[in-house]
Amino acid sequence: MSLALLITLLSPVIGGFVYGVERILRARMQGRVGPPLLQPFYDFFKLLEKRSMVIHSFHAFMGLMYLLGTWFSLYVLLSGGDILIAIFFHLLSLAFLVVGGFSVRSSYSILGSMRELLHMVAYEPVFVLAAAGLYLITGTFQISQILHSDKLPLLYLPLVFIALLLTLPSVLKKSPFDVAEAHQEIIGGPEIEYSGKFYEAIYTAKWIEYVYAFFFVFLFAGGSWWLGALLVLLSFFLVNLIDNATARVNFRQMVAFHWCVLIPLVVINLMLLALWRS
Amino acid sequence: MEKVVWALILIPWALALAVFISPWHRLRQAITFLSLPVLVYLTYLLSDGSLPLLIHTPHWVSQLITLYDFLLLFYFLYQGLKFRSFLVSVLSLFQIFLLVWVLLILPHREGAELLVDRLTLFMYWIVATVGTLISIYATKYMEQENLERENRFVSVLLWFLGVMNFAVSVNNLEWFFALFETTTLASYVLIRFRWDEISIKNALRALWMNQVGGIAILLAILFAVKYYGVYRFTEILAIKGHLISMVPLGFLAISALVKGAQMPFHRWLLGAMVAPTPVSAILHSATMVKIAPYLILRLSPVIKGTLLAKLLIITTGFVFVSAGLLALTQDNFKKILAYSTISLLGLMMLTGAMGSSTAVLASLLLILFHAVVKALLFMEAGVMEKLFKAKYLEDIRRLVERAPVTVFFVSIGFMSMTIVPYGIFVAKWLTLEEASNFLSHGAYVGSIIFVATGGVILTLLYFKIIGVMTRKREEFFRFRLEKLPFVYLFSTVPLVVFTIVGSIFIALLSTKLINPVVSQVVGSPAPIKALGLTLQTGVSELYGWQIVGAFTLLLIVPVCAYFIHFSGTDRVFTYTCGERVELNLGTYDFLCISQVEPLVETVSVALFVLTLVLGGGLV
Amino acid sequence: MDFKKFRKKSPWLLHYNTGSCNGCDIEILACLAPKYDLERFGILNRGNPKQSDVLIVTGPVTKRARERLIRLYFEMPEPKVVVAVGACACTGGVFRHMYNVLNGVDKVIPVDVYVPGCAARPEAIIDGVAKALEILEKKKKDFVPPKVCKNVEVKEPINRKFLLEKCLGVKNEG
Repeated sequence: MSLALLITLLSPVIGGFVYGVERILRARMQGRVGPPLLQPFYDFFKLLEKRSMVIHSFHAFMGLMYLLGTWFSLYVLLSGGDILIAIFFHLLSLAFLVVGGFSVRSSYSILGSMRELLHMVAYEPVFVLAAAGLYLITGTFQISQILHSDKLPLLYLPLVFIALLLTLPSVLKKSPFDVAEAHQEIIGGPEIEYSGKFYEAIYTAKWIEYVYAFFFVFLFAGGSWWLGALLVLLSFFLVNLIDNATARVNFRQMVAFHWCVLIPLVVINLMLLALWRS
Repeated sequence: MEKVVWALILIPWALALAVFISPWHRLRQAITFLSLPVLVYLTYLLSDGSLPLLIHTPHWVSQLITLYDFLLLFYFLYQGLKFRSFLVSVLSLFQIFLLVWVLLILPHREGAELLVDRLTLFMYWIVATVGTLISIYATKYMEQENLERENRFVSVLLWFLGVMNFAVSVNNLEWFFALFETTTLASYVLIRFRWDEISIKNALRALWMNQVGGIAILLAILFAVKYYGVYRFTEILAIKGHLISMVPLGFLAISALVKGAQMPFHRWLLGAMVAPTPVSAILHSATMVKIAPYLILRLSPVIKGTLLAKLLIITTGFVFVSAGLLALTQDNFKKILAYSTISLLGLMMLTGAMGSSTAVLASLLLILFHAVVKALLFMEAGVMEKLFKAKYLEDIRRLVERAPVTVFFVSIGFMSMTIVPYGIFVAKWLTLEEASNFLSHGAYVGSIIFVATGGVILTLLYFKIIGVMTRKREEFFRFRLEKLPFVYLFSTVPLVVFTIVGSIFIALLSTKLINPVVSQVVGSPAPIKALGLTLQTGVSELYGWQIVGAFTLLLIVPVCAYFIHFSGTDRVFTYTCGERVELNLGTYDFLCISQVEPLVETVSVALFVLTLVLGGGLV
Repeated sequence: MDFKKFRKKSPWLLHYNTGSCNGCDIEILACLAPKYDLERFGILNRGNPKQSDVLIVTGPVTKRARERLIRLYFEMPEPKVVVAVGACACTGGVFRHMYNVLNGVDKVIPVDVYVPGCAARPEAIIDGVAKALEILEKKKKDFVPPKVCKNVEVKEPINRKFLLEKCLGVKNEG
């Protein structure tokens, strides 16, 4: 429990480092040198000091709530409670971002918020089904027990794991599934109207989401935490590779890919396994 | 106890009569206000008693109801002929024919005609609170719409409550048919209330579609008598274990699907929105459509695990997803609510058909919270329509600038249907966990997929609307809450309070109040425990701190939006690439989904037929 | 802790073309590409004025572009610097004294660094941005109104929407 609290409190720092590593990794993949490792924190402190501007207070406030909500949902995940609850808590934090994005009269912000919801439509069923898969193997929905189970879910759920890996780009807003951010198109979507300290809240929340998303990968190693760490590293590399190698799809293609490819993939795995067991 | 039951059934009729004949608006309002404490008190009296209660009635009551059946069907026939509706007339004739047949072969055995168990009591509670609040609301609504016909309108609503109370307490299937058709009559009268062309058209549509349900019940009685020689719910429940034929159960399930406005029979519920808004409120929340999950729950011990149940899961699950999808394409606020009702009714029946104790608990939680929330939302839709002239998504843009309280209530209503930690979410969560136990069954895997995707689609829908409402041009420097009439507040605030308090104390609510109902429906209570606010199921826990934390996060928002203004910071305009443009912002209309609507309906027809043919054992 | 030094370490750019021939714009993009890799210094091309620190302007500022430029300038939070890239942006270049141009960015908004060249070389641009960052580090957080707002009183906290309306004399429909 105290470990969970510690990781949650440190999660912006961890996420910041992950983001820093990611920027370097991405630059190396493109044959560049890339920024220093601490670059995200430089950005953080710079944003802290900028003069604040808001559209209206409700919008700015929702940015702060997004940070708070994400942080809380990460604690729900790490504290070892129910995995489905943790998945749905993420939705709660997303709701703040989306309502904030909708609350301003800006076409980019509204488009982006709508697409953010479509991201959620795409990846959430896969996460729920993956949770059911973990339940099938370990016999519990409690994360603390999954983390101490002596079975290796990865062995039984290879297709589910692949599906989860392929949803990560959409959770983290990476290419090819980055329609909600789409910097060249809608300039960041829901985050566009934030500036200064309020943008910083959003920026930090994104780092926390890194920890949140990769923790799901970690769960697939069950009790063997070293393997879990390895899986996280591999998936991190893979996500960035896909990010660099692909172009953006539109939202219909994104939802269609998740619903028509990934969900059947998960279901095949789950049904075959359950049939084999029964 | 028996007297209390009869009082619960008959007092709304008496009140309706009193409202109908009273000449002054104030008096009518007072009588309607009276219905709330009276019904709540009577239901409370019943809660203490020993249940289930089997009530025997004298023979003449049965004969009276048969007579009433014929009168009702001839009235339908008359309406069909009067408005030249081919379907209504033919279906009425067919029903008369079937009814005669039923009466010819019906064996007369002694038995209780009324069955009051905890499930019935549960429905009584919903009618006594939500139903009466809607009637109270209707008095004010009609004052603003058409005071002269107010007495008719409110008295029909009150009468409807009595009919509903009666319908959920009958044991005899023939009586159930009578009450089923009476609710059809009530909805018909209410939908055509405005007497314009479209109202009559929609009312006739509601009439013939519900008559299909009536025919299904009559056929169910015929086959039940033929195969088993029984015609009472208690007797049908007793045949569990030695099922010879699924046909009667299949037909009963079909009648539930029709009453619950499942696709392809969903259009009658959509058509109901032409009537004054309290009609929609009462049809969608406390009465009418709730008969559908009620019927499925009644049958769930018998059909559990059969092919019928699995096909019902797939059919209703499909409706849960596709009604949510079609709702995305709508731009009329009431129509969106109607689609989401259809969708959630699908979920209620899905969980009911799963039939295990946890699933039934989820179903009951869904019925309860859906009744409360839908009543709230429709009442707010009426408020928006009457006070702020907002009916379409176009009109509710930036409503928060004019009506922050209304927007707050509507947002709570919407969020409570999707977001952690509200009651409906808990029901979905229980469903998912329950279905995870049966991953080798296609139907249960299907139910997980349907619940997960349907849930996110509803989230998308609700946040789309919340987004349109909360859009603001700029800061409120003089933030002002709108003034709402007392009656509107009186009828909506209790529902909001219940939604929040009920969700916080969800553990206590489901163990202490709902679980006894579950144990009477299924035979064993759901394996849940309450530790303070924490809800424990067999495999996982919903912690109290999670619930409280989520509510804190959610309730900070409106409070701080009111108080915090960041007054020391600069204000800036939105980014428009530097252009000076007049923005006219709408929202997504999801045209890509309306293109597949015919496909969706085809699939739903196919599933419907499959449920009847395969599930009902007609092969 | 003095946060001022971090300004220099993570400058985010906003690039605006006020009617340039696209020569300088190509060079700016070349700076961000792998060869010169400006991201080494934490520089990102945000494309969003609300999150940017450095406004890079190219082109001689056509009359049409004037209002857009002012609006973008208003939307950037302080401290911020403006870099005029290319001969046109500095003085009007070959377009100087034409009927449709305003002869340089500094006729409209305050400019901190001028980068010459037609088109400006990537090295020069990098040099200019580096100079701009030194200025950025010393900048105060006060709002410096553009030329059009000379006679308009600026009150704290600034309501930029009203201020812009006053300066331009038009109704803002944002």
